[in-house]
Amino acid sequence: MIVRQALKRNPWAFLGPATTETLAAALVTLGLCGVASLDGAPLTAAQRAAMAADGTADIGVLFLVVSIYLSILVVGVTIGTAIADQGRDLALFRTVGATPWRVRRAIAVQAAIVAIPATVAGVPLGLLLGRAWVHGLVGHGLVPAEVTFRIHGGTVPIAFAVTIGTSLLGALIAAIRPSRLRPAMALTEAAMPGKRPGRIRTPMGLLLVFGGIALAILISDADAQTADNTGLFVMLAMCFGVGMLGPVLLRLASPLGRLFGAAGRIAADNVVARRRSLSGALVPLTLAIGFAVFTIVIGATTEHVTGVAQSAADRWLTYAGTGTYCAFAAIAAVNTLITVIRARRRDLAVMRLVGGTQGHTLRVVICEALVVTATALVAGAVVAATVLLPLLHTALGTWRPWVPAPFLVGSILGTAALVLAGLALPAAVMLRQPPIEVVG
Amino acid sequence: MDSVISLASVSRRYPRGVIALRDASLDVPPGQFVAVMGATGSGKSTLLHCAAGLDRPSGGRVRLAGHDITRMKEARRTRLRRDHAGFVFQAYNLLSELTVRQNVELPVRLGGPRNRTVDEVLAQVGLAGFGKRPVGELSGGQRQRVAIARALVTAPAAVFADEPTGALDPTTGARILALLRAAADRDGAAVLMVTHDPVAAAWADRLVLLRDGVVAHDGPVPDATEIADRLRGVTAVSA
Repeated sequence: MIVRQALKRNPWAFLGPATTETLAAALVTLGLCGVASLDGAPLTAAQRAAMAADGTADIGVLFLVVSIYLSILVVGVTIGTAIADQGRDLALFRTVGATPWRVRRAIAVQAAIVAIPATVAGVPLGLLLGRAWVHGLVGHGLVPAEVTFRIHGGTVPIAFAVTIGTSLLGALIAAIRPSRLRPAMALTEAAMPGKRPGRIRTPMGLLLVFGGIALAILISDADAQTADNTGLFVMLAMCFGVGMLGPVLLRLASPLGRLFGAAGRIAADNVVARRRSLSGALVPLTLAIGFAVFTIVIGATTEHVTGVAQSAADRWLTYAGTGTYCAFAAIAAVNTLITVIRARRRDLAVMRLVGGTQGHTLRVVICEALVVTATALVAGAVVAATVLLPLLHTALGTWRPWVPAPFLVGSILGTAALVLAGLALPAAVMLRQPPIEVVG
Repeated sequence: MDSVISLASVSRRYPRGVIALRDASLDVPPGQFVAVMGATGSGKSTLLHCAAGLDRPSGGRVRLAGHDITRMKEARRTRLRRDHAGFVFQAYNLLSELTVRQNVELPVRLGGPRNRTVDEVLAQVGLAGFGKRPVGELSGGQRQRVAIARALVTAPAAVFADEPTGALDPTTGARILALLRAAADRDGAAVLMVTHDPVAAAWADRLVLLRDGVVAHDGPVPDATEIADRLRGVTAVSA
């Protein structure tokens, strides 16, 4: 019953988790195919030794592991946002007698119901991508021509395990608060989520961010390959930390909104009030920006300092990988933002009832989007710099990264476009409905 | 004096042929408090929404604060509403995540005239010193008083109230009604209130009864018992 209400009331809220789970299943499938294709190829011992020496033997495994980590982060965040959106309904179910366990079970069922079709759609997509990837590896001469596309025997069970597992975990963590509330308090609490200060959240975020910085300094002495691979995980940990610190960061960034006049002042208040739900979008945004900045800047700086251009094959390998991760994170970010703004239909309608025109209300949302964009850009740049600077120092002996100007402009505009697509576009559509119909 | 709220032969048809309002006329001068009553589905809310420019009538003319809003564009109508009308709803319709002050200031932040200070209106509704409190922490009665403060901060010519006491106990409700009464008496606003409650209607100067979208009675307010009798008169047939 709880499940039916949740799925029927706002099917769009589950678009985010469904999309990210489809992509997660596709990425995991892609990684598994890479591993199977490389391991199963009829190669000579010398060929294998050569691949092990230049690191290409591990690319499948590395891709797979990063995909699984990314999936955990991103699916967890999107399903968490979708569940948080139901706070009021869950409170109602608690009031009419649902036990905390029943609520948790219902949430688990929802998570599974969404994950199963998403995975079924994602696996074939992953097979297609995997085929293209193996083709590309061979075509660019990165692996011997004997390597052919192979499907990993465990693809289906592993993909299901990753998507259902992460989705259940994310949903259950998000369900802790609403399921635990006393029924009498639940209804009033539901009207004002995010009241409690992050007594656990903020220290954990700080720990992850500073832990990441410490680890980055430690690995700066390791050999280039290890440092490169560990760097990815430092980046993931820090992005998660940024998500934890999200509410604090958004509060710090909110005065920015005041630069944009009266609409900006309302936006600043809204960002502070909604800092918890908005920080769900910070994790994937920071990931996308961090990955992109890291890859581009390390390539550009190496080229700038050594004067040697990256080989076309290496360039293809890094850009294909980074591009995939970035696209995944970007799609997740847009989906999370859509869920966040949809949960605010009523607020937008109230703003219009008391005299905000469609244009005025939309301006408020755009200002909020700009504050989120700025926060994500700074966080992403800091994360990338933490991983990047020690690496540059070890490999090239310089602390000065080289940032190509078109990339700088492009990433700022790209991030702004993502956030606007996630917040302002759905808001513009919602504002077309007469406000009195929304508030009833 | 010119009426602040003026409906002339207003009708409202919904798609699929439902007629919510037919040929309804009503003029409310400044300082008058009008209660609109009728059975569920009699067109009370439609009347209020049309009068306030929240809905567009299918026929007739609507004027608000001297402006013809019948065919006005949405953006202009919204600005007119912002500058000349205040709203109070049964469900409060506040931004629950923001503070009392941020809520009351909203019409001004959206560009409305700052005719009165936030502190002044908060004091008027008995919430002096509550400015920094999040709205989510307040009781229902307090929330409704925040809504009234928000409605009054622009010193509007018209105040529209849709079942403002519907979710409140009689004592708390009486407090809200006294505030609406004061908005008419002290501030000279035209107050149009939709209600189910004869006791609430008894606070008004004038009673309008609707039956099936038609104005069935329009006259001075009798006492609560007689209002209840009259209400039964118009609801019994249609119910």
